[in-house]
Amino acid sequence: MFDGTPDEISKLIEPGRVHRRVYTDEDIFELEMERIFNRAWMFAGHTSQIPNIGDYITTDIGRQPIIFIRHKDGSPQVLLNRCAHRGPKLCNDPCGNARALTCLYHGWSYDTDGSLIDVAMPEGSAPHFDKKDFGLAKAARMGEYRGFIFVSFAEKGASFDEFLGPMKANIDDLVDRAPEGAISLDAGIHRYFFRGNWKLQVENVLDSYHVPFSHASTVNKKGEQFSRREGDKEGAQVIDEKKGKKESTSDVWKGRRSYVVDFGHGWTSNTELKEGERSSPAYDAYKEALAAKVGHERMEEILAPEFHNSLLYPNCSIMGLNMHVRVIRPVTTDLTEVTVYPVKLVGAPDEMNAANIRLLNVTHSAASFVQTDDLEAFRRTQVGLQSVQSDWIDLSRGMGEEQADSHYNATSESAMHEMAIRAQYQAWLYYMCEAA
Amino acid sequence: MDALGLPSAPAAGGIAGVDREPFELFLIHEGRLLDEREFEAWMELFTEDGLYWVPSTSGEPDPYNQASLFFDDRQLMKTRIERLRHPRIHIQTPPSRTNHMVSNVVVEEADEKAGTYLVSSSMMMGEFRLDVQRIFIGRQFHRLVREGDSFRIALKRVNLINCDTAFEAMAVPI
Repeated sequence: MFDGTPDEISKLIEPGRVHRRVYTDEDIFELEMERIFNRAWMFAGHTSQIPNIGDYITTDIGRQPIIFIRHKDGSPQVLLNRCAHRGPKLCNDPCGNARALTCLYHGWSYDTDGSLIDVAMPEGSAPHFDKKDFGLAKAARMGEYRGFIFVSFAEKGASFDEFLGPMKANIDDLVDRAPEGAISLDAGIHRYFFRGNWKLQVENVLDSYHVPFSHASTVNKKGEQFSRREGDKEGAQVIDEKKGKKESTSDVWKGRRSYVVDFGHGWTSNTELKEGERSSPAYDAYKEALAAKVGHERMEEILAPEFHNSLLYPNCSIMGLNMHVRVIRPVTTDLTEVTVYPVKLVGAPDEMNAANIRLLNVTHSAASFVQTDDLEAFRRTQVGLQSVQSDWIDLSRGMGEEQADSHYNATSESAMHEMAIRAQYQAWLYYMCEAA
Repeated sequence: MDALGLPSAPAAGGIAGVDREPFELFLIHEGRLLDEREFEAWMELFTEDGLYWVPSTSGEPDPYNQASLFFDDRQLMKTRIERLRHPRIHIQTPPSRTNHMVSNVVVEEADEKAGTYLVSSSMMMGEFRLDVQRIFIGRQFHRLVREGDSFRIALKRVNLINCDTAFEAMAVPI
C-alpha cells in the first residue's frame, strides 16, 4: 500500500536515477494531480486569446476544466468550468463570447467574473441560501507576465514572482521579437495525445541528447535538419560526417548548453544558425518593422536570440526556434494530451507570421515531421517501463559537471547531459513532499 | 470563397451533364497510391504549384493564418516523403497499413474549355498500426486540371469531421 508519505516518495528518487513507478503507478499519479497540479503555478492562457469583454476559451489545467474569460471590467478571469449548483460543465464550446454564463441544467446564470447573478425560481431557495456563497470557483491565485496568465489552485506557496524568477528572460526573448512588443496566440491550435506519462513530454523538452537519434528521419545526407525559419537557407547541423563514422552528433549540436533554475524550470541555449545570412523579402520587411520600433541596435540584439526553448515546470514550454507555447495536460498515468499554440508577432508582416504558422504544421502538429517521432519514443517508453526486472531509470549523464552560471544566475551544463531532468525531479520532490 | 478559392457553399448535386466516372476513377487511383505507399507517384499527381491541405479547424478559411494538420506545397511534400522513406522514421516502424474509400462523388464546378474542375467526395481512410485501428472520415475537395486522359491536382482539401480533436501521431497523408 502506497500512502504517499514523504519517506515513501523520496525513496523513488535517487541521485541520478528515478524509480519506474513514477511513470506507471496510479496512486502516484493521483498524488501528482493533488500535490503538483493543485499547488504549482500553471499556464492557463494568454490575454491575446480573449481580446474583447466577454470573450472566453475553455480548456483544462491538469484534470480541471476551466473558463478563461475577459470580465466586464477588462480583467482576465480563470473560473472553474462547473456550475456551483449541481456541477455541470457551464461552457461547452472551445471558445466564444458571453455576457453571462448560464447553466444548461437549471438555468443558474453567472457574471463574467463568476459571481452568481440569477437563480431560476428563487422563491424555492432555502432560507439560508445566499447568492454570494455560490459564485463559480476560481483558481486561488493568478499572475500575469506580458500576457501569459498563470494560476495556482493553492492559497499558499511561492508567489508568482518567485515562481517565474529568471524565466522572465525567456518570455522577453520571445515577446521582444514582436515590433509591437506583444505576441498573439490566435492562430489556431495543434492538439495531440500519446499513450504515455506526462513527465515523458516534460523531460523531452530540455533533452537535446535525443535529437540526432529520435529525429534521424528529419536530417538530410549532409547532417542538416530541414530549414525551419523564414529566411533561413538551411537547418541546424545536427550530425557531422567525420572520421569515417557516418552518424555522430555534430560539434555544433554538442556545444549547446542547458540551464536550470528553481522550481524545475530550465532552458537550452540557442541553436546555432547562420543568423547573418538569414534573409527573405518577408524576413527583411520584418527586420525593418522591428527596427522602426526599437532602433537598429536593439533590433540586432533581439534577432540574436539567446534561447532555443524553455520549460516552466510542470505544464508549459515556450519555444523560441519555431515559435510556440506548448501546454502539457496529464489525463491518466499513461495518457497525456498536449496543446501547441503557434505564436504570432504583433506588428510583424503577415508573411512572417504565416511562415511560422506553416512551420509549426511540420514541426509540432499531430502530423508533423519532428514531434511524431518523439511521441513514438514516449509510447515505447511507457511500454518498456511495464517490465519489472529493473526498477530504475538512469538520468546520470553529466552528474558532477554542473556549473554555476553567474550571467543567468542559473546552473549550467552541456545540453547533451541530463541535469535538466534531474532538476525536474528535485521540483517533483519539492511539490510532492514539502510544498504546503 | 476561402483563401484558396474553394466555394463556401458548394452547389447541391453538382453539375448536370458531366460524366463523373473519370473523376471517380481518378480519386480511387489517388487513394490507392497512398495505400500502396507509392508516395512519390502520389506527389506527381499534384501540379507544380499544387497544394495539399487538411485543416485542424472546422470551416477554416485560411491556411496561411491558422494552424493545419497538413498544409504542404510540393517542396514540403517532398520533405515529408523523403522522411517516410528514411530507414529510421520511428513513427512508421512498423509502417501503417491504410485503405482509402471514396464515394458520393459530385462534380461541383466544370470549365470544360479550360479543363478545370472542382470535385467533392466523401472519404474514409482506415489505418492500422501496432494493434490500433482508427478511421479518418470527412469530405474532400479536389481542384483538378485536365492533362491528357487524366487529371492533376491543383488543390486537395480534406475536411475531417474530427479535424479539431487531439490526434495520436499520424505520419501518412490522408
